[in-house]
Amino acid sequence: MKISLNWLRDYVPLDASVEEISRAITFLGFEVESVHQTGAPRLEQVVVGEILTRARHPNADKLSVCTVDVGPAGGVKTIVCGAHNCDPGHRVFVALPGGVLPGNFQIKQSKIRGQASDGMMCAPDELGLGGEHDGLLLIEGKPALGTPINDALPPGDTVFDIEITPNRPDCLSHLGIARELAAWFKLPLAYPQEKFRGALPDGAAERRDLLASVRVEAPEDCPLYSAFVVTGIKVGPSPAWLQERLKAVGLRPINNVVDVGNYVMLETGQPLHAFDARKLAGHEIVVRRAADGEKIVTLDGRERTLTSRMLVIADAQRPVVVAGIMGGEDSGVSADTTDLVLECACFKRQSIRATSRQLGLASDSSYRYERGVDPHTSLEAAYRAVDLILETAGGQVAGPAFVVGGDVPWLREIVVTHDFITDRLGFDVPAADMRAAFDALELTVTREEETKEPARGPAWTVSIPSWRDDLDRPIDLVEEVLRLYGTEKIPADVVRAPGLLAEDDPIVAFNRRVTDYLVGHDFHECVNYTLRPAREIAPWVEAAAARELALANPFVEDQSHLRPTLVSGLLETLKLNQSRGVSVSRLCETGRVFLERKGQTVECAAVAFLVAEPTGERSWLKRESPDFHTVKHHLHALAAAAGVDFARQPLVATGSPGHGWQEGHSVGAGDIAYGWCARLGLVDLALVRALGIEGRVYAGTFAILPERLAADVTRRRFTEFSQMPAALRDLALVVDTATPAGDVQKTLVKLARAAVGTAFAVESVAVFDLYAGKGLPEGKKSLAFNLVFRSPERTLTDEEVNLVFQRIQASLEQSTPYLIRK
Amino acid sequence: MQDQLSALLAKAAAELPAIASRPEFEAAKARYVGPHGELTGLMKQMGAVPKEQRPAVGKLINEAKTQLTAQLDATLARIAHAELAAQLGPPVDATLPSPDPGPGTCHPLTLVREEMCRILRKVGFVVADGPEVETEYYCFDALNTPSDHPARDEKDTFYFPASARFGNVSRKVPDEKYLLRTHTSSVQIRTMLKGPPPIRIVSPGRVYRRDTTDATHSANFHQLECLYVDRNVTVRDLKALLDYIFASLLGKDTKTRFRPHYFGYTEPSFEVDLSATHLPKVKKPWIEIGGCGMVDPTVFEAVGYDPAVWSGYAFGMGLERLAMLLYGIDDIRYFYQNDLRFLKQFA
Repeated sequence: MKISLNWLRDYVPLDASVEEISRAITFLGFEVESVHQTGAPRLEQVVVGEILTRARHPNADKLSVCTVDVGPAGGVKTIVCGAHNCDPGHRVFVALPGGVLPGNFQIKQSKIRGQASDGMMCAPDELGLGGEHDGLLLIEGKPALGTPINDALPPGDTVFDIEITPNRPDCLSHLGIARELAAWFKLPLAYPQEKFRGALPDGAAERRDLLASVRVEAPEDCPLYSAFVVTGIKVGPSPAWLQERLKAVGLRPINNVVDVGNYVMLETGQPLHAFDARKLAGHEIVVRRAADGEKIVTLDGRERTLTSRMLVIADAQRPVVVAGIMGGEDSGVSADTTDLVLECACFKRQSIRATSRQLGLASDSSYRYERGVDPHTSLEAAYRAVDLILETAGGQVAGPAFVVGGDVPWLREIVVTHDFITDRLGFDVPAADMRAAFDALELTVTREEETKEPARGPAWTVSIPSWRDDLDRPIDLVEEVLRLYGTEKIPADVVRAPGLLAEDDPIVAFNRRVTDYLVGHDFHECVNYTLRPAREIAPWVEAAAARELALANPFVEDQSHLRPTLVSGLLETLKLNQSRGVSVSRLCETGRVFLERKGQTVECAAVAFLVAEPTGERSWLKRESPDFHTVKHHLHALAAAAGVDFARQPLVATGSPGHGWQEGHSVGAGDIAYGWCARLGLVDLALVRALGIEGRVYAGTFAILPERLAADVTRRRFTEFSQMPAALRDLALVVDTATPAGDVQKTLVKLARAAVGTAFAVESVAVFDLYAGKGLPEGKKSLAFNLVFRSPERTLTDEEVNLVFQRIQASLEQSTPYLIRK
Repeated sequence: MQDQLSALLAKAAAELPAIASRPEFEAAKARYVGPHGELTGLMKQMGAVPKEQRPAVGKLINEAKTQLTAQLDATLARIAHAELAAQLGPPVDATLPSPDPGPGTCHPLTLVREEMCRILRKVGFVVADGPEVETEYYCFDALNTPSDHPARDEKDTFYFPASARFGNVSRKVPDEKYLLRTHTSSVQIRTMLKGPPPIRIVSPGRVYRRDTTDATHSANFHQLECLYVDRNVTVRDLKALLDYIFASLLGKDTKTRFRPHYFGYTEPSFEVDLSATHLPKVKKPWIEIGGCGMVDPTVFEAVGYDPAVWSGYAFGMGLERLAMLLYGIDDIRYFYQNDLRFLKQFA
C-alpha cells in the first residue's frame, strides 16, 4: 500500500528523516518495497530566470546561445542550451555555477563548442522531477526572478510503498500506519475530529422520498450496514489538497464525492460507497444474496452474472452494487447528482473473498474487506466522510439515517505476565518497557498486579482495541513487546547443542550414497522438474497409470503430470546439451518418482543414470563404447546402497515397441509391490531418434519405497573362508543361442554341487568366454565356464577333482541338452 | 689350462653382450656352466692335474668361474632391464587431454544442501524427509492455515483429482484432497506426530507453487527448514541459531537481523536478513534470506504437544535463493536446465 508522508503528518508530528521512518516501518514489521519522492528535491543554486534572447550557436546547429536574467541571483547570464523550447519570454529554472543537480551533476562555468556558458537551464528530469527529457521545464505563473526552486515549486512528498502482512488489516490505512509510527517514535497521535456524529442536525429534513428503507436480508454476510442521506450537493472537482493527496498515492481524482470516499478509505481503512439517491428504484436498499443468473454491469463496464452465494446491495428492482467489491455502472454519482446516499458497511471476509475470486474482480475495497474491516470503528469513517462531503461538495445532512446491525459489543482482554514474556524472549526486558510498549500501541493495561513471586514481575490485564483482532493470546503480546523493543536488540548467544537425537532419514542417506557413487564414477548430477508433459511420460508408463499421475489444475501443459521415471528428464538434459553443442555422456539424478502399485500410486525414492555413446566428440585415443553391461555394473552398486543384492535377482525381459526400453536389450528386476524395482538397458532407439538425440543411450533406474528403506537393515555376518589352495577346471558348453547364460550357469552349479556331494565345495562357477560363429552350428553358442573347487581343511588331489569333473560332465550329457565342447 | 680358461672367458666376453633374450641366455649359460658346459668340462679335468699343481689350478678355475658368473649375471640383468623397457613404449606426453569423461559433478543445489546439513548436524539437527505429495491436513490445516486462506487456492497450489489415490501417503482426514506440498513444513507435522519432543530436525526438499516460471520463480523449487522443539526454547535461541548458520556458511563477520513479520504457524514471526556486502552481485547492505519464528501454540495443539510445556522455533529458506546468492547466479532456471557448462562450475 502507498503511504504519503505528508498525509501521515496530519496525525502524527513526524520530524524524523525519511531513512529513519523507513527503518521504523521495516522494524515494526512492514516491508518497505520502495520510497518515492514527489516534488523537487532540495536543490541549492537553482533559481527562477527569464530567457531574454536566443541566438544560434555559431559552431553547432542544435545548440542555442541565450541570455537569461536571474535577477538578484546574478543578473543576466549567457547560457548555451540544447533544448528546443528555450525561447525568449519563458521563465525557467537555471542551475548556477556551484550548484549540484541530482546524480551529483556539478554545474560549472564552461565553454561549449568554443562558447562560454555560465550555468544551465534545466529540464524536469535534470531537476529530479521525473518525466521525459523533452525540453526545458517552463514555469507557470510569474515567480520573481532569482527565487530558489524550492520556494517556487510546491513542497514535495515522500511516498512509501509498504507491504502489509495479512494479519494487519488495520494498517491498510494512513491512520493505522500513523498509529504504529507514533508508538515507535513515542509521539502523540491525533485522530480526526468529526463534526457530524450521526445525530441529525436540528431542522434536518426527513427525506423518506429519497431513502425510505434499508433492509438487511443476509445479516450473516453483513454484520453492519449504515446509510446516510446528503442533499443539495454540487458535484465537481475536489479541492487541490484532496487531489494532491490522492495523486501522491497513485489514485486519479474523479470528483469531490468519489474522492472523499477514496480519501476516507485510505485514511481509515473503511471502504465507502455513494449512490445517486434519485437512481435507487423504490428508494430502498436491500442487502441480499443475488438470484442465480442475476446480472449487473459493474463500473468497469463489464456485465457480471451473479450466483446465489454472492452478496449484493439492491434497490427495489435490481442489484446496484456487488457488495464490498464494485458498484454498478448506473447507480453511482454523476456530474448532475444533487442528493446522495452514503453507504458504510461491514461484510463477512469469506463472502467477499469467494465472490471476488469467482467473478475475477478485485478492488481496493474488496482487498480490505477480504482482510477484515473493523465494524466497531466503521461509523467514525462514515461521519468523517459526511464532514468532508459537506466541506467539498456543499449540501446538508438529511434524514433518515439507517444503522442496521453492528450491535455486538467488543471486549477482549488478555492476561500476560512479565515472566511469560521474558521466558519466550530469552532475555530481559524491563517491566516498565513492556508496559510502555502496550501503552504506545493503545493496548490499554486495565489492571497491573504483582505475581505471587515478586521477583517474577507483574501480571497485566491488557484490553485489546477492536482494530487489533489479530491479538488474542499472551504469545501475541510477546510479539508486540518485541516489535517495539526492537528485534535488532536481541542479544547474541551461542547455540545450545546437545547430541544428535536420531539418525538422518534413510532416504537422505540413500540419496547421498548413490549420488556419491555415481559422481565418483564420472556422472554429472542433474535436477529436473518433477512435473512432466503427458507426451513425455507416455513411453514409460501404462496409459491407465499415467492418468493417475495427472494434476487436477496444471499451470502449463508442459508440467501436467508427476514423473514415473527420472530417465525421461535425463534424456531432455542430454538433448539440451547436445543441441547446444556441449559434449555429454554420463548423467544422473536422484528424486521422487511415482509408480503404480495395485491400482494406487506410490511415491518412491529413486535414482537413475544414463550413459550415452559419445557422438561428434573426437578423441585422440579411442575408448570402448558403453553397453548393457556398463549400466548393469552400476545398477548393482545402486541396488546395494538400498540393501538389495542385485546379482541374486531374477531378471525379466522388458521393453516393447513404442515403449521407453528397447526390446531385447533391456531388463527389469524387482517389483514395486514388494518394495523396489529396477530397469536397465538400452533406451528405445526410435524414441531416442524421435527426441533428436544422436547415438545410443543406455540407462538404469532403481526405485524403492521410502518405508522399505526405513526398515532396519540386518547386519551382515562374517562367513569363514578356506585358506587352502583352489582346484580349477574349465568347461565349455554348446547351447542354443537363446538360452540365457544365467540358466546354464545355474544348472551347472546344481550339477557340480551334486557331483561334489559333501567331500568338498564348489566355490564358484563363472562364465569366462562366449563364442558363436565359425566351428559352431547355426543357432548355437559356446559358453566357457571356470569351475573352482576348494576344501576348507586340505589341499585337493588331482584324482578326486578329476573324478568329480567327470561326474559333472556325465550328468550334463545325461540330463541337459547342452553339448560339451571338447 | 690357464690358456684354456682365458680363451673361455674371452669367448664369453665376446658372445654374451649379443644375447638379447632369456632362451638364448639360458642356452648360453648351459654352454658354459651347465652339466656339459665348457667350464664344467675344464673343472672335470682337475683330476688329471698333478697333485702339486692342483691348488694353483684350482685357484685359476675359481677365478675364472667368478668372472664368468659375474658376466652371466650382468647379461641377465641387462636382459631383464630390456624386457621392462620393452613394456614401456615411448614416454608419455602428459599434456594430452584424458580421453575419459569426467570428473563427475554434484549439482549446486546438492552442494548447498549438504553444506547446510553439515552445519546443522554440528548443532544436533538430523535430516528428516517426507512425501512431496501431501494432503491438505499436513500442508495446511495442521499449520494453522484456515480453509479459505489464499495459499490454499487452486490458483496457487497444485491439487490432484478427488479420484487420485496415493498408496503410501497417509491421510489424516478421510477424503481430504491430495496436493503437491507448498512448503517442507509438512515434514515438521509428520515428525511431530510420530513422537514426543525433543525434536531437532532439518528438512530439505522439493516444494511446488503454481507460478509462472521466470528468472526468480519456478514451478518446483527447494526449501530447507529447521524445527527445534524442547523446553524453554526462546527467541534468543532462534537468533543464535541463525547467527551460527550464516557465520559458518559465509564467514564469522556475517550478520543476521530479524524483521517482525507474519506467518500463520509461528508467533512471533520474523523475516531474516543477511549482511550481504561480501556476496557477489548484491548491491544492498542487507538481503532477505528466509522466514522464521517461534512455533505457534496452535500448531503444537494440532500435533498433541502441550504448549504450556513445550516451545520451539522454526526457520525456513529457499535453497535456490541461497545458492544464487552464494554463487552469484542470477536466473533460477539454470538449476533445471542442467547445461553441463553450468554444472561443471561448482563441484
